[in-house]
Amino acid sequence: MKKLSITALIFAFCLGMVSSAFAEEEVTCFESRKGASEVVKRDLQPGWPNVKCSPKTGAVLWWGDPFDGTVPMGDTPLLTHVPPGNAVVKPRSAKLAILPLCGTACHNGVIPPTLPKDKKPKAIPTMEGLLPDAKNLQHGRGRIWCLDCHHTTQRNKLVDNFGDPLSIDQPQLLCGKCHGDKMRDWRDGIHGKRIGEWASTGKKRWFTCTECHNPHNVQDGARNRGFIQLEPELPPQLPKGMKDAKHELVHGVH
Amino acid sequence: MSFAPDYIRYIIKGSTKFYVWMAFLAFLSSIALYGFYLQNTEGLIVTGLTSQIHEGLYFANLVFLVGVAAGAVTIVFPAYVYHHKAMHEVTVLGEMLAITAVIMVMLFVFAHMGRPDRLWHMLPFIGIYNMPGSMLAWDVLVLNGYLLLNLICGFYYLYTKYTGGEVNRKFFMPLVYTSIVWALSIHTVTAFLISTLPARPMWFHSMMPIRFIMTAFAAGPCLIILIFMIIRKNTRMWIQDEAINLLSVIITWCLGIALFLTLSEIVVELYARTEHANGLYYLMFGLHDLTRLVPWFWGSLIAMLVAFAMFLIPSVRTNYKLLPVACVLGFGGIWVEKGMGLVVPGFIPTPIGEVTEYYPTLIEIMMSIGLWAMGFFILTILLKGAIGILVGDVRFKSAAQATSNDVANSGGIAAHGPT
Amino acid sequence: MTPNDNPAAEPDQERQSECQMQAASADPAAGSLKTSRRDFLKGGGMLGVSSLMGAGALMAQSDNAQAAAEWAEHFQGNYRLMSPQEKAEARARLERRYSAEYGKKVTVDGTEAQPGVLMGYALNVRKCIGCRRCVKACVEENNQSRGEKPGERIEWIQVLRMERGEFSKDKMNQGYPEGLGIQVGGNAYTPAGQVLEGQYHYEPKAVPEKEATYMPIACMQCEKPPCVKVCPVRTTYREADGPVVIDYNWCIGCRMCMSACPYWARRINLTNPVLPNEAMNPVTHYLGNRPRMRGVVEKCHWCLQRTRKGRYPACVEVCPVGARKFGNLLDPESEVSLILARKNVFRLKAELNTFPKFFYFYD
Repeated sequence: MKKLSITALIFAFCLGMVSSAFAEEEVTCFESRKGASEVVKRDLQPGWPNVKCSPKTGAVLWWGDPFDGTVPMGDTPLLTHVPPGNAVVKPRSAKLAILPLCGTACHNGVIPPTLPKDKKPKAIPTMEGLLPDAKNLQHGRGRIWCLDCHHTTQRNKLVDNFGDPLSIDQPQLLCGKCHGDKMRDWRDGIHGKRIGEWASTGKKRWFTCTECHNPHNVQDGARNRGFIQLEPELPPQLPKGMKDAKHELVHGVH
Repeated sequence: MSFAPDYIRYIIKGSTKFYVWMAFLAFLSSIALYGFYLQNTEGLIVTGLTSQIHEGLYFANLVFLVGVAAGAVTIVFPAYVYHHKAMHEVTVLGEMLAITAVIMVMLFVFAHMGRPDRLWHMLPFIGIYNMPGSMLAWDVLVLNGYLLLNLICGFYYLYTKYTGGEVNRKFFMPLVYTSIVWALSIHTVTAFLISTLPARPMWFHSMMPIRFIMTAFAAGPCLIILIFMIIRKNTRMWIQDEAINLLSVIITWCLGIALFLTLSEIVVELYARTEHANGLYYLMFGLHDLTRLVPWFWGSLIAMLVAFAMFLIPSVRTNYKLLPVACVLGFGGIWVEKGMGLVVPGFIPTPIGEVTEYYPTLIEIMMSIGLWAMGFFILTILLKGAIGILVGDVRFKSAAQATSNDVANSGGIAAHGPT
Repeated sequence: MTPNDNPAAEPDQERQSECQMQAASADPAAGSLKTSRRDFLKGGGMLGVSSLMGAGALMAQSDNAQAAAEWAEHFQGNYRLMSPQEKAEARARLERRYSAEYGKKVTVDGTEAQPGVLMGYALNVRKCIGCRRCVKACVEENNQSRGEKPGERIEWIQVLRMERGEFSKDKMNQGYPEGLGIQVGGNAYTPAGQVLEGQYHYEPKAVPEKEATYMPIACMQCEKPPCVKVCPVRTTYREADGPVVIDYNWCIGCRMCMSACPYWARRINLTNPVLPNEAMNPVTHYLGNRPRMRGVVEKCHWCLQRTRKGRYPACVEVCPVGARKFGNLLDPESEVSLILARKNVFRLKAELNTFPKFFYFYD
């Protein structure tokens, strides 16, 4: 009996290895920052992929269809000149699919309805494990806490100052409260990123705030910047006649 | 008529020395033809050119050779404007050199272009000829015009000598005067080609045309003196001392002014040492430890200074044993200064500051040598024919007399000449 | 020049097209005076017949359709001067050739400039982090040559890394450094801010680095382009909606434009481009990203194949920090117009009066 089970285990193990070798190599690359929006490369049409990925950094270099996987952006103030349906975003609500788990796994089906008494969240290992960045919130220099942005009871929503829930796909309505300059520039297309049609009334996919900025760690430690560092792509080819580029490091005007 | 057959019959007969020389040149030319083949199949990647430094040995040679072509005016001008008798005897040799030099320029243009098979795009009516906007279009116009002028003037003169007739001055003199002025224009336009580019601060100054003219009028006569000495030694034609001495004086003046212009450039650029002077600094001292051209610059400067000193001293200038040395030094120095010293540093650094270096590949060097060999091949033929006519070996007399004369003198390159 | 050409036929063809230039010089012995009119006509007739024979030999070769297409492509005129039908023919020829070469269906579009559009570009120098994704995205979109031998890899965008200078107490009396120069004292020679001499081959682990700033440079699409002025065959020209384009089939490779450009925007194809079939982008435009050939110059054209159809250029879409903005300068609501209205904008080398439509700004 034991011998059979061991053999079966070994057999199953080998089968698993072999099948995974035959499985298609899935290429995933990230659009703006790792952890925000990742895309699996696939062909939209034969020979026309949805994205082209960088072999060096794993970043998306090119979109075959800029509107792949997008939904219309909700109403945003002062974006009225954009025809309806021409502003789309990539939804992130699906990432919050873990939330039902919270209810059954930890809270017996009922998420606590009230605020913690002293607004200083207790360190709960499970939640910290889910979102390590929340442990020592690097946003606001100690002047804001979780429920300033997240809805008290509907934890898959954000919140505004009236207590009304905001969709997590429209973080600009929340972030724009404090970051008005950036909101104005973002709305006009000067700040942030849009892909799609260049005409001012054209269809564009807007990258929302949290697709580029990590709201739980905007300072990035001692760097004190709003955007993390990225790995750069490869330098240009050395032209004929140059062995290396060391001369670039020799400084100064002679 | 019989001019062409007589001419051809004369130039294809020669001594062993002649045949060996021509065979050697033909061999070198065949290397150039192979180079053309490579460049038209593989592309310019067989040279050392890059997108950063995209004019190299070919462009340098073609700029220099335009100068040599213009330098022929140093013979024509004294001959026809100052009626210098000794020069008058050898004017047509200068025109032959001009023809050859312009043909060599065209050969180097073919070598330098990315798509020589598309050259027809520049023809008016069939293609698009961007006049008056493009300086290159002007250059094509003046070069072809100069070639035509010299062909007409040179061969008309030879033809009249061949038939023993008189030159029709009403037809001939306007063409000669035009060619004198035109010679200045070809090199000025070539200078404008590079001096009208604000993107290239090393070239973008008004001194460029005068510098080109001065170096051309120094290098051209250097070559002409050397050729005259070879002609004296190897043919029956005797070129007067006065001609050679006048050329030496012209070289002295022009080399002197050219050196003065170099000095002024160095002072102006390096006094304030702005970033615009980076090209010159690279040439003189190297940039960021990249010093490939530094020995070439100093070598050429020393060569030109020594040549100038030699030309300056009358006893050295008229000493025909030392004069060839001075000519070689002058010619070589100017070739380096106008070629590597001007063309390549113009691209270092690129307009946005990238510093790279350039070295010509073996194919590029062999191709340049081969094209020079082609030029000398053509020059030898043209000079031989011209000398043959000038000394009277080729004459339109009765057919029998002409043939017997040819046979008797077919040792065209024999060591004669009065001492 | 293609490998299929019959080498014997070529010299005749060249001679015929250039006989105006070379008749006088090819045979110095003949001089400028023809021997007789009869001889001349005989010679000319022989020339004509041999040329026709050469042409016929070429046409009658194997791959008859392909040879005919190559012949027609070799002798096509300048795209800008073609009639709409000739343009369509030229594009169809190219589609056939590219599809055969790359093993997939390639389209060569010819969408003209739309009225009321003047394309403009703005780049936020405060935001650029030097990640070079714009460089690589451009290559993914525009079918540049990408081989390993030096000179085979072409990239249209160059990212310049400039170090922030560091002024320190111990350099106070260092003065003008080694080399020539009159000592003026102080350490103000430290390269700080924007200098011409930057670095292009930087390879740090992560960008942006604390001690550096970055600035990408590509074709500025000038309104008064020096490259257009010097081109002897007018193969590069400014299109009505703004971009400066090149007709690759007309370029003779003289590289005057490369010498004239103050921004080092143009690249030369030193050899036959290396472009793997899988990497080839099959959606092309005649004046845009269609694969080039040996010996011609190429440069950024603001992704004509995309922008003429209304889409952003590839570099704009990929920039992870949103530093790149593109739009219609004639539309006051476009992001570029708003940037020009609101932000501090400058142009590179403005003193050269090239009037670029590529603006740099900071906020």
